[in-house]
Amino acid sequence: MGTTFKIILLFSTMFLISCEGLFDYSPYQIDFDSENKGVNATNLDRLLKTNQSDTITIAFTGDTHNDFDELGCFVDKVNTFPNIDFVIHIGDIADFGLPKQYLWGNGYLLNLEVPYLVLIGNHDLVGNGLEAYKEMFGDVDFSFVYQDIKFVFLNTNSLEFAYNGNVPNLEWLSQQLLPSEDFSRAVVVFHMPPGIGFDSELELGFYQTLSAHNNVIMAVHGHQHHHEVYYPTADSIPFVNVYGVEHRMMTLVKIYQDKIDVENEAF
Amino acid sequence: MLKMRHFSHWFLLLCILIFINNTQAQSHVGKYDWLLPDYVKLQYAGGIGFLSAGVGYTFVHQRIDATFFYGYVPKGIAIDDLSSVSLQFTAKLVRIRLSENYQLLPLNFGWFIHHTFGSEYWIKLPSHYPPEYYWWSPGRNAGIFIGGELKTKWLARKTPASGIAIYARIGTRGLYLASKVGNSSIPITDIIELGFGIALYR
Repeated sequence: MGTTFKIILLFSTMFLISCEGLFDYSPYQIDFDSENKGVNATNLDRLLKTNQSDTITIAFTGDTHNDFDELGCFVDKVNTFPNIDFVIHIGDIADFGLPKQYLWGNGYLLNLEVPYLVLIGNHDLVGNGLEAYKEMFGDVDFSFVYQDIKFVFLNTNSLEFAYNGNVPNLEWLSQQLLPSEDFSRAVVVFHMPPGIGFDSELELGFYQTLSAHNNVIMAVHGHQHHHEVYYPTADSIPFVNVYGVEHRMMTLVKIYQDKIDVENEAF
Repeated sequence: MLKMRHFSHWFLLLCILIFINNTQAQSHVGKYDWLLPDYVKLQYAGGIGFLSAGVGYTFVHQRIDATFFYGYVPKGIAIDDLSSVSLQFTAKLVRIRLSENYQLLPLNFGWFIHHTFGSEYWIKLPSHYPPEYYWWSPGRNAGIFIGGELKTKWLARKTPASGIAIYARIGTRGLYLASKVGNSSIPITDIIELGFGIALYR
């Protein structure tokens, strides 16, 4: 009997040792390794060190939800294009807001050859998603200047903050858009456009803030999964709605001189 | 939710005390002995805590087990500590008698429901959301597992416990399965929750 028992014990031990990494403590455990921490800051660092071209080309995707395979296809396709400056994922990278889904989503984006930035979406905030986002990507509102253009990333997911009146943070947005020497134009990027889920009391203020200094050349958002270019403000700021990844279409935005081109590319 | 966490700690402590008290006083058959748990468990991982302590009952000639676990993930292992409870039902389909002192149960099927404490892990969609805005609840997940157990009579002679078992279980939960469906590029090992533990039987 002793022998049988020892054999069972030996095999169980070997089995358990070989399975390291399969031990799971909680669906909400946030324990990211270094390549999955501070991702937006790392990529910004890379982006701002590159030789900046006259034409800025940005590839947009977003609303991954549970279409991770398609996100992989997007990455493969972007890597075949020679002139993309950077990639923006417009939110909802983690359908249930699970840390594991954050890891999956970023796992694909890590294979991109160009820098990328990930914006927060409403799904990303479910459960302890806000903590996971901060740990993996950083601040929910952030901005940077690239080629004389200020890119402003704004958390507009008011519903996930129970319409507390501070999301979107219009005061911060207004400060970001104040004219200064380091930029002449601005692009504002957010996940959720005005409508269901966006604080209706902040809607007017939001449009007014975008128009205040006449320097916003474009607003880009996701959440609705389909593509269109429309003009909700009187001063004609184009709003670009980005395809959800499941359509296997990416939105390419080219900014050069005073022009903006919006194209869609299948992948 | 802090109060709730404290409640779980006390509840667990109470269960363990009752259990220990009972095993020590086994010779006295009391009126309420049927209320006492049939076993206590200590489990590592398995998706329900870094360490989870459980108490449970066994039914239908020890073929069905119902176990209540309290699981904890300390800060340091995760960026924030996590407290949760789970209720687990196990069907033990095969029982092999290896000898007088050892029994092997190689095919145990289980179902569990797991609740993480904290206001962000809601069960009912909070009222500020439009109806059915999200179809799942972060606070309550269900899952399945298969496992095996080796039951021994270690300590049976030296203590009032009837024996000790070691077990392992491999499972997944609904939210992971929903993420895996349609995504061949996600490795199956990514959705696995492996765990093992010991059980002390009354």
